[in-house]
Amino acid sequence: MLLNGVRRAAIASARNSGNKEMERTMTLSLRESVDLVSDPKNLDASVEEVFQLMLGVNCQRYTGPEPVAEPESVTAVVGFGGLLSGACVFKSGSTAAMKVAAHMTGMEFEEVDDTVKDGIGEICNMLAGAWKSKVPGLSANCGLSVPAVITGRDYNLHVQAPEFKLHHAYTFDDASFEVTIICDGIQ
Amino acid sequence: MSEVRTLIVDDSSVMRKIVARSLRQAGLDPLTVHEAGSGTEGLEVLKVQQVDLILSDINMPSMDGLEFLRQIRAQNLAPGVPVVMITTESSEEHVKQAILSGAQGYIRKPFTAEQVKERVLPLINAA
Repeated sequence: MLLNGVRRAAIASARNSGNKEMERTMTLSLRESVDLVSDPKNLDASVEEVFQLMLGVNCQRYTGPEPVAEPESVTAVVGFGGLLSGACVFKSGSTAAMKVAAHMTGMEFEEVDDTVKDGIGEICNMLAGAWKSKVPGLSANCGLSVPAVITGRDYNLHVQAPEFKLHHAYTFDDASFEVTIICDGIQ
Repeated sequence: MSEVRTLIVDDSSVMRKIVARSLRQAGLDPLTVHEAGSGTEGLEVLKVQQVDLILSDINMPSMDGLEFLRQIRAQNLAPGVPVVMITTESSEEHVKQAILSGAQGYIRKPFTAEQVKERVLPLINAA
């Protein structure tokens, strides 16, 4: 349900841009270059770029055992619409979310307040934008929704039979987070 | 440098703070910052405040940055004031759309303070 909502918003964003060239090029196809679209290096490079430039920290891909999950988590979702439909999902525990927001704003946080949620939504937005800009032909032909942010305990985000899915964990500053690119439709 | 009055339009309050901080790091000091969370709010600010520089996101709910830009020009608000778009959308087509709508500059998120300085200072100096 959530993904349907953000996807609709992203498609509307692509249509509302008033971009005639975009409308024309929407007839192009990405299907032949699905290997390029789903290249995991693009996601790693996007995460490194966003965290280095906006937070001033280096992120490493985390491939060790799954870290102990915090009871409360923060998830941001930005939908893709156009040549590719799906979503970029950022998920972390509340401690990591507060660290991300602290690096962005220079403030300290003791709870996941509106500023933390806003910051995580914006990080997800930049990750989605950076990721799609690395795929030729996708950047101009794929709209982004505004971010939706979910906080709480014991919830899962489920997508039925995606076309492809990239799911990576990263660490910085003793904190970890996950970024997922879900593609449930590609033209 | 004399005081620079700036309007920052972004639906994210965190991004508005980051943009303001980057402007100060770029040497715009003293700096007065007016903030708006949407294009609609931005237009209201421009009706009552004089500014020297406008920085706006594109992808915003209610009124996006490109429509905000068109409305500024259509309503003759802030004539001659440079507008710089700051957005995650970075394709050539998006840049072209922004320029055609009346933007003088374009900064892609994520950005560095140095990039803000390079794009903004020449516009301020030329105004």
